[in-house]
Amino acid sequence: MYPAVIHDYRRPKSVQEAVKGIADGGADAVFIAGGQSLMQALKVRLVQPHALIDLQDVAELKGVRFDGNVRIGAMTRYVDLAAETRLAPAYAALLDAARHVGDRQVRNRGTIGGSLCWNYIAACMPAVALTLDAAMNLVSGRGGERRLQAREFIGAPLETARKDDELLVSLELPAPLAGAGSAYAKWSLVSDGLPVIGACVYVELEGGSCARARVGFGGLASGPRRSPAAEAQLVGCKVGDDQAVARAMAAAAEELETQGDLWADPAYRSHLIRTLGAKMASAALLRASGQSATT
Amino acid sequence: MSTQTVRITINGEVYEETVPIRMLLTDFIRERAGLTGTHVGCTYEGVCGACTVHIDGEAVKSCLMLAVQADGHAVTTIEGLAKDGQLSPLQRSFNEHHALQCGYCTPGILMNMAEFIEKHRNPTDEEIRHALIGNLCRCTGYVHIVEAVREAAKSAAAT
Amino acid sequence: MAHSTDASPADGWFGAKFNRKEDQRLITGRGRYIADIVAPGMLHLVFARSQVAHARIRSIDTSKAKAMPGVVAVMTGEDIKDRIASLPQPVVVPSLPAKYPTHWPLAVGKVRFHGDPVAAVVARDKYVAEDAAETIEVDYEELPYVGDPEAALKPGAPIVHEGWDSNLIFEMTFTGGATPEDHAKNDAKVQAAFDSADVVVRKRFRCHRCGVTPMETRGALCLWDDADGLTAYVTTQRPHIDRLALSDILNIPAEKVRVIAPRDQGGGFGVKAPFYREPIIVAYLAQQLGRPVRWIESRREHLMAVSQERDQIHDLEVAATRDGQLLALRDRGIGDCGDGCEGVYWGFLMPFLGAVELPNAYAWPMGDVKIKVACTNKAALSPARAFGEFPTRFALERTIDMVARACNLEPAEVRRKNLVKSLPYTSITGEYFDSGDFVKVFDNLTARVDLAGFRREQAEARKRGRYLGIGFAVGVELSGVASELLVPMENQPGYGAATVRLDPRGKVLVFEGDAPGGQGHETTVAQVVAYAFGIHPNDVVVQTGDTGTTPFGSGTIGARAGSYFVSAAYQACTELKHKIAKVMAHDLELGEVDPGDFEFKDGEIVYKRTPNVRKTFREVVERIIMAPINLPPGVSGGLEQTAFFEADKPMICFNADCCKVEVDVNTGQWKILSWTTSEDVGRIINPQIVDGQMHGAIVQGISNACFEQFVYADNGQQLTADFENYKLATAADVPHIDVTHAPTPCPHTPLGSRGIGEGRPSSIPGALSNAICDALSPFGIEITELPLRPDKLWHMIQDARSSAAAE
Repeated sequence: MYPAVIHDYRRPKSVQEAVKGIADGGADAVFIAGGQSLMQALKVRLVQPHALIDLQDVAELKGVRFDGNVRIGAMTRYVDLAAETRLAPAYAALLDAARHVGDRQVRNRGTIGGSLCWNYIAACMPAVALTLDAAMNLVSGRGGERRLQAREFIGAPLETARKDDELLVSLELPAPLAGAGSAYAKWSLVSDGLPVIGACVYVELEGGSCARARVGFGGLASGPRRSPAAEAQLVGCKVGDDQAVARAMAAAAEELETQGDLWADPAYRSHLIRTLGAKMASAALLRASGQSATT
Repeated sequence: MSTQTVRITINGEVYEETVPIRMLLTDFIRERAGLTGTHVGCTYEGVCGACTVHIDGEAVKSCLMLAVQADGHAVTTIEGLAKDGQLSPLQRSFNEHHALQCGYCTPGILMNMAEFIEKHRNPTDEEIRHALIGNLCRCTGYVHIVEAVREAAKSAAAT
Repeated sequence: MAHSTDASPADGWFGAKFNRKEDQRLITGRGRYIADIVAPGMLHLVFARSQVAHARIRSIDTSKAKAMPGVVAVMTGEDIKDRIASLPQPVVVPSLPAKYPTHWPLAVGKVRFHGDPVAAVVARDKYVAEDAAETIEVDYEELPYVGDPEAALKPGAPIVHEGWDSNLIFEMTFTGGATPEDHAKNDAKVQAAFDSADVVVRKRFRCHRCGVTPMETRGALCLWDDADGLTAYVTTQRPHIDRLALSDILNIPAEKVRVIAPRDQGGGFGVKAPFYREPIIVAYLAQQLGRPVRWIESRREHLMAVSQERDQIHDLEVAATRDGQLLALRDRGIGDCGDGCEGVYWGFLMPFLGAVELPNAYAWPMGDVKIKVACTNKAALSPARAFGEFPTRFALERTIDMVARACNLEPAEVRRKNLVKSLPYTSITGEYFDSGDFVKVFDNLTARVDLAGFRREQAEARKRGRYLGIGFAVGVELSGVASELLVPMENQPGYGAATVRLDPRGKVLVFEGDAPGGQGHETTVAQVVAYAFGIHPNDVVVQTGDTGTTPFGSGTIGARAGSYFVSAAYQACTELKHKIAKVMAHDLELGEVDPGDFEFKDGEIVYKRTPNVRKTFREVVERIIMAPINLPPGVSGGLEQTAFFEADKPMICFNADCCKVEVDVNTGQWKILSWTTSEDVGRIINPQIVDGQMHGAIVQGISNACFEQFVYADNGQQLTADFENYKLATAADVPHIDVTHAPTPCPHTPLGSRGIGEGRPSSIPGALSNAICDALSPFGIEITELPLRPDKLWHMIQDARSSAAAE
């Protein structure tokens, strides 16, 4: 119920100070962002850090910048991300996810960076970042910088490529393309609950048909996964081509291994990949063509 | 040293206390400030929402925060919702519409909804229900709560 | 905003909308719940609980805990077993033939479920107490786990309780008489009915383990004083019973034990009704240490140890004519009561009552109902609203629909045809239905939901590939629990008791021994008393749950308030009014008068025959209390009355539900389009409170049916001890609910009111699953298991589609 004893708490004002704090703290220092996942882990004593480095005052980590690329600070809260309508339609999947994580109290504190670094099995942001092929910018205590693509960064549940002394500073996406659209939705037993399956689709239309597609799913025991088979089959798809979309998602369900748990057996998870995936593909295509679509 | 000195403003009053770093904000509010209107309904999962307060005007779950994280911030609890002894329209609406029974989840719901209706004038019932996802209630079945919020939001929009 | 209650019009405060008095403090955060009560020098208690499901305890090492700075005491079962009495104790044992497992409040010798308390740690700081509890090491010799009630009843199954030759804790036949010979005759009669019936439906139904966990967990704060004895604040629905039990177990004279249910409790729903292990330890340690000790249960502990109910299997058979006339009912039920170590209920009382209530509101010519209840390595079942009958109602209401389908009739029509028409009525299991008009209630519902119109809408929708469905269920529920049932069932009286005390300022104090947890007693009783005396409800204060000041009450259970408690309060008021009338008549020299000659209204007492002859309520009351001279012969001063109310017959209330759904056959997911009810709650005291009770009960039913489930792994590890895994319905998961009323006043209560709310969730799973099956009737799907889950439904649809394709 209560965290184990914590010996040190720091509130750095800059990225430099933050990574220094982690370097000083050694292996037993952890960053705390919004705390909506980490606090659960602390309270159940799954994580028992010696020191906490609180990122709330590091201004450089907050906010979304559109200058050429899109740069989303790791400490950007869901509530703020959800308001960034300029992300639509190309990166609307981020808005879909940000608007439905947990509940509004969680969205007032939880951050995209926290979600990515925790990479919980049932989380939305990792699946979306993977599908949008975002780049992660990391800074380490020893002064180094790294840039990893999402597929290199995001691993199995609760694992990422981030080293203990690295700070995720931002997520980066290329400037949104005209004719691009994306969508994300999850299914859970209760409304907006932790996803049993989360489906994300990103498409680029050229001349009215899909030129490039990325399809990703969260809620899998392996960690979030893209589906190359689905992506290949979406190429050439047009808006409203439900049959092609269904075929593509059937391929995804074939390709991806699903697990059973209290909420769904493997067959139903696969079926959710088909149905949710199809809905998201249709929505992404609509958005890419300039129309609106709800998820 | 596993403690730290913090300055947290709660309902306009400054509390300067030396606290264990691991102390939950909920416990700071309930025990150091003696404000027991903020309730605890779950263990670590932070799902029930009974502990909802405002940090700098925004609804958050105080059990998912450490007191040290609130250092330098302004907290508003249920005890601070009424101004100068006058119930807020939302509180009056809850009474009028019988939107509480045991009252245990109520402070968290009022704090969440107080922020919600400030940001959303004339919400639909569906929007209200969606906004209530972070607050579990066992007694009311939510029907009267939705009524109370809808009516309070309407009169807030009208003013 | 107009309130949706088509109930009888208000008569002064009786039946009036009146904003609750409790709200002022609760909406400003000034409630006083157990965790808000502090005592100077208070210590904090944390339990260390078993991490294994079934094991002998070889040793417990508490040395690290004891050595931790700030830890004041650490106790295990070995430390207490020779110092305090074990359970069972007579005061918390039913008068039913069953086995009652011996147990102490901390595990002695073995642990029987994941979460069984093995040690108690007391420290000055609650965080430190948790740190210390973590260091306790228990050396277990693990034993095989038994987690299925049928397996538990097979020979050779691991035995949960040492010395028992089987895991059978209770079994009973509920029909056909008292002796084995009677039973045999009855069973043969029933078999003959089945043999000759046109229609027989025979199914196995399973209801999962779930309950109605309140938002506030349990807790206890105990203080010991050498002069006053033990004062125990406990989250309890039954302070008076707890007091007797604590006295017996701790060997403290009863007059030195005071149990106080905190003024505010965050819900009970039956979960706070048993006499549990934990308060015993808190009290014992407070006494031993001579310092206040408080335990506040964590949600994790709570979901490990309590709130688990339902969990029954029923092999149910119904025989009917081809016109849908019910002929016979046969049931073999199996309950899983966990370790059964729980005062008052022992896990099996719930399946017991569920079997009694199985026949529901239908007229059965005959029936054969038998159940067995088995102990397993799980937490004991603790009561939950719709006590025992959630599984049996589900099974029965589903079966009614299946009978209808077999007869090619509307399920609503089959229900209406078979509803008990003439009350009073005694069911085949001996349950007495005192009064009501079931058909009126049901017709009100079918009219409201426009069944014929829906069928047209449904047909149109099917042509367009959409699957809509409508489902009904009814429920006859206890309105209070009469002594004639409560004494054998729980060794406790069913009467309602209230002390009404007037003060010289014309204000009223009412004392209630039962302890509410949100039902609004302070308001409803104030309205009743205000109605009786013609004063304002704000001038009536209700105090509850303190054994030191209130008359004996068996607890806030079984819908006793609207039935028994308010009746007692009203009775006390009536007796006081008689006395007041007598004195007033004497003072005004009116000669022989009837109490009915005086009207109590608007703060005055008016002589109806000569209305200008009147006094204020306050002046008369003040005169009788403060100036008791020149009183009529035989009348003494003072105005305080305690009344014990026992209805002359056990009473019921009745409700019917209708739910409309749309099912997406491609995903197995459904949406509830509407939920409509029709209620007979007798005469309504506060319409909003009644409707609120219904809303809450229905949403609990939906949440239980669809989302909540306690799951034990094959090795006995409980997997659902937090709200991420034990999922409760949020506002976004449930529909608006339209409550309507078709009441019949109850002839056995002075006000015609009925107690409501306890059994109310029971008709929900039937109505919902009936609607889903109705939507999916083209697929021939019949749901027989709870919980209702999209993945399960999707599989059923897939299977139905492939067998249809195969044909």
